[in-house]
Amino acid sequence: MKLEGEHIFHGPRQAVWELIRDPDALAKALPGTETLTRLSENEYEGTMHVRIGPIAGAFSGQVTISDEIPPESCTLTAEGKGAQGFVKGVGRLQLIDEGDDTTLMKYDGDIQIGGKLASVGQRSLDTVSKSMIRQGLESLNGALQARLSAATTGEEVAYVPPTEARFAAAVVKDMAGELLSSPQAIWAVAAIGAALALLIGYLLGRRGRR
Amino acid sequence: MPTKYVGQRIKRNEDPRLLTGQALFVDDVQIPGMLHAGFLRSDYAHARIRGIDASKARQRPGVIAVYTAADLGDFWKPGPLLVPAPHSIPDLIFNQRTQVPMARDKVRHAGEALACVIAESRYIAEDAYADIEVDLEPLEAVTDLEAALGPGSPLLYEELGTNLASYVKQEKGNYAAARAQADVVLKRRIVVDRGAAAALENRGYVFSWNPKTQEMIVWATSQAPIALRNVMAGLLGLSESQVRVIAPFVGGGFGPKIMVAQPEEQLLAWSTLRLGRPIKWIEDRQENFLATTQERMQIHDAEIALTRDGRILGLQDVFIHDTGAYNSYALTVPLNTQTHTMGPYEIPNFHTEYRVVFTNKMIVTPVRGAGRPQGVFVMERMMDLAAKELGMDVTAIRAKNLIQPDQFPYPQGIIGQDFTELIYDSGDYPATLEKAKALIGYDQFIREEQPRLRAAGKLVGIGIVCFTEGTAVGPYEGARVTVESSGRVNVATGVGTQGQGHFTSFAQIVADQVGVKPTDVIVTTGDTEKFHWGTGTFASRGATVAGNAINAAAAGVRAKILKLASKLLETPEQELEIVDGMVRVADIPEKGISLGELAIKANPMRGSVEPGTEPGLESTQYFGPKYGATAAGTVAMIVEVDPDTLLVEIKKYIIAHDCGTVLNPLIVDGQIHGGVSMGIGQSFYEKLAYDTNGQLLNANLGDYLLPRATDMPPIEIGHLNTPSPLNPMGTKGVGEAGAIPTPACFVQAVENALAGLGVEIMEAPLSPRRLFELVHG
Repeated sequence: MKLEGEHIFHGPRQAVWELIRDPDALAKALPGTETLTRLSENEYEGTMHVRIGPIAGAFSGQVTISDEIPPESCTLTAEGKGAQGFVKGVGRLQLIDEGDDTTLMKYDGDIQIGGKLASVGQRSLDTVSKSMIRQGLESLNGALQARLSAATTGEEVAYVPPTEARFAAAVVKDMAGELLSSPQAIWAVAAIGAALALLIGYLLGRRGRR
Repeated sequence: MPTKYVGQRIKRNEDPRLLTGQALFVDDVQIPGMLHAGFLRSDYAHARIRGIDASKARQRPGVIAVYTAADLGDFWKPGPLLVPAPHSIPDLIFNQRTQVPMARDKVRHAGEALACVIAESRYIAEDAYADIEVDLEPLEAVTDLEAALGPGSPLLYEELGTNLASYVKQEKGNYAAARAQADVVLKRRIVVDRGAAAALENRGYVFSWNPKTQEMIVWATSQAPIALRNVMAGLLGLSESQVRVIAPFVGGGFGPKIMVAQPEEQLLAWSTLRLGRPIKWIEDRQENFLATTQERMQIHDAEIALTRDGRILGLQDVFIHDTGAYNSYALTVPLNTQTHTMGPYEIPNFHTEYRVVFTNKMIVTPVRGAGRPQGVFVMERMMDLAAKELGMDVTAIRAKNLIQPDQFPYPQGIIGQDFTELIYDSGDYPATLEKAKALIGYDQFIREEQPRLRAAGKLVGIGIVCFTEGTAVGPYEGARVTVESSGRVNVATGVGTQGQGHFTSFAQIVADQVGVKPTDVIVTTGDTEKFHWGTGTFASRGATVAGNAINAAAAGVRAKILKLASKLLETPEQELEIVDGMVRVADIPEKGISLGELAIKANPMRGSVEPGTEPGLESTQYFGPKYGATAAGTVAMIVEVDPDTLLVEIKKYIIAHDCGTVLNPLIVDGQIHGGVSMGIGQSFYEKLAYDTNGQLLNANLGDYLLPRATDMPPIEIGHLNTPSPLNPMGTKGVGEAGAIPTPACFVQAVENALAGLGVEIMEAPLSPRRLFELVHG
């Protein structure tokens, strides 16, 4: 699966670069990330809880950063596997200084998936990945604002990353939004969206109780 | 002999048990102390195995054992070749690579077993997967058939130096010369993709070893219980008499259950011997998608040469066949494609050539239709193309090229699936086409209805295609018929039953011969202890091959009945009749003896008998045809395409079908209905979508669409009856009839509905989305 897109960060390029090279910030911004440890300058290891359609589970893996040109660009190679399958991806990140204290991030990549993730989750994969990326980036942007504000005011600004449940709800909204582009499907989608939200809520609730 | 029951629409004997939940399926088998197996399967389609560490899993409470390929020692070896390659074809290449019990050095398809966990419950077994550390080195997957044969492709078998599994060429006449004389030569690429057998019941087994009796009992969802017994005994070093295989009621076979010595069977057999405890494994739906054999992917480059008036001079078909990761079932599928491409037509010159390719996908073996649908699809598409090019009606060009009734037996000049020359035994193809045209109202639809509906803005189309179905191949089946002292009659045969109505149609045959009611005939199929000779249920052969063996055995019993009764009643045999379980003197109905009494007299408990006497009223007989009988039919349908959604509704579906003598029209209709639903699935719904990494992207029934009851059109069946001269009952097979021609007919009808939009469809299966792409570019 190919992924590409862009995102505008409200802050200078150097600050954005530092943020995305900070494992703690990344772990917080990506809901479901349970651990993210820096192994070396350019290698991270971590576990993440992922839900794609009916497939959910923990994935553990490595992220390697290469071809790094600070603060402009780098290549991310990620490999993860778990009981539900595996993910392998290569992505190229580019940060462009827009000159007005905003930074444009461009990304493109290729993701391979396997196991149940592919054979059962495939149908929702595209939307879920895009939604995860969008939310993750928005969340990072939130973290960036908090940092910048702390730097100028000298005060700690609380940054609250989204919970996994809120994240899941947003994924459902994104999925429904995509389907809604077909006008005939509106009622079906509304019903499916409601059902999915209930299901995910139930599953998360159940997971939480365990 | 006049028939009272054969040919009647009799309700099925087995249905009360099935409908009230009283029938035994494999998963119903419960044995005290039974363990459960689960298989850890590879997520990768192609990978080198660096190591598998199961030590942690073995510590998990409730886990009895975990086996990997390394634990199997000498037992690990590639499985048997289940069907030989047809070496009667000159210059044939066959690179044998049979399925292995578990992946050892390399994984060759996603879903291949890496470890087998035996535990107190299936839950524990599956939980233990998480404890197994698998170290795989992913390799680039081979998925594209043409790229697989190109230079630089990754290889499934490095030692072969190629992904070519097989190469076969057959020629009849001289196509090149025919082409040189032709007025018109048309060429197209035609692609048929993969589908699943999707039986309601997945595969399942219970293996049980009794150390005290030294006997193994196996309950299996098998289409070939006798072959399974023989192969398992051989692999385990047991005597065949120590292994009993029971194929109880099975919820659909459709081909893949013909496979024997599959990884799960091998592991269960080996484990039950080691552990001395019964073990059950029931495949779940996801495993069924990943680890049960599949069919159909082929890419054809076809060319047809004709005269200007529509006579076929020759046909050339060069294709690539995807065999998946292994080729245990040799070449049955592509060979069937080859032998069904000419269909019911007279084709003087035929060049057919194929390459079989190993890919990192699930193994391909016969699935209902077994190569025939692809051959029919290619031929019928080329016929439609020719009709369009020559400005002929699609039925006219077909009629012009049909083999005529006086041309039988008709030798086709190439080797067929039974490895001898393909010969059509009998048929009346023009009558079949005419019947179909009449049933669908072809002329009237073309002349009146279609123009009227089109004027009203409706995209309606008609399709009509002809096909043959090679059925009832040898080598043989057998049966034993016994009259009990109760007067009931027992029949045992080696073929297994997966819903074909054997308990009824076989009973009808015996009832007529022995003079009892079909409900008094108890049929046992697929239990090797009840009957231990036979081949299996495949290639639409059960009713004909086993049916004729049963007929012969029942006739043998009838002879014994009449001989003994003649002696007891002091009446010549020819004056006796058997009616409702009584043997009586035809003129004096009150002078008679019941079959039960006769059975007791035939089995004296004291005293002496004449030398050479066989006890009881029993006979065992075998039947093997000289070659397979060829059934045929014509299918027609009317479809309407929704211009916005590109959904297709089949408004009317008819099939004119000739399977020779019909034993039970109700059962034949049922077989056709089931086949049609499968054919509709593989026209518009069912497609196994693999990505370029060999991942099956729709391995679940949410994404892999099966046709539902509401997708089934009203089906009208016209029976024709040209008895086969190859067996005493004159029967031919029918099990695959509905599945074979349906995709070809569907595509023709859709193309016809979209006439004017310039859409040419050279592929199956379609989907609304694919149709949208074809229409809108």
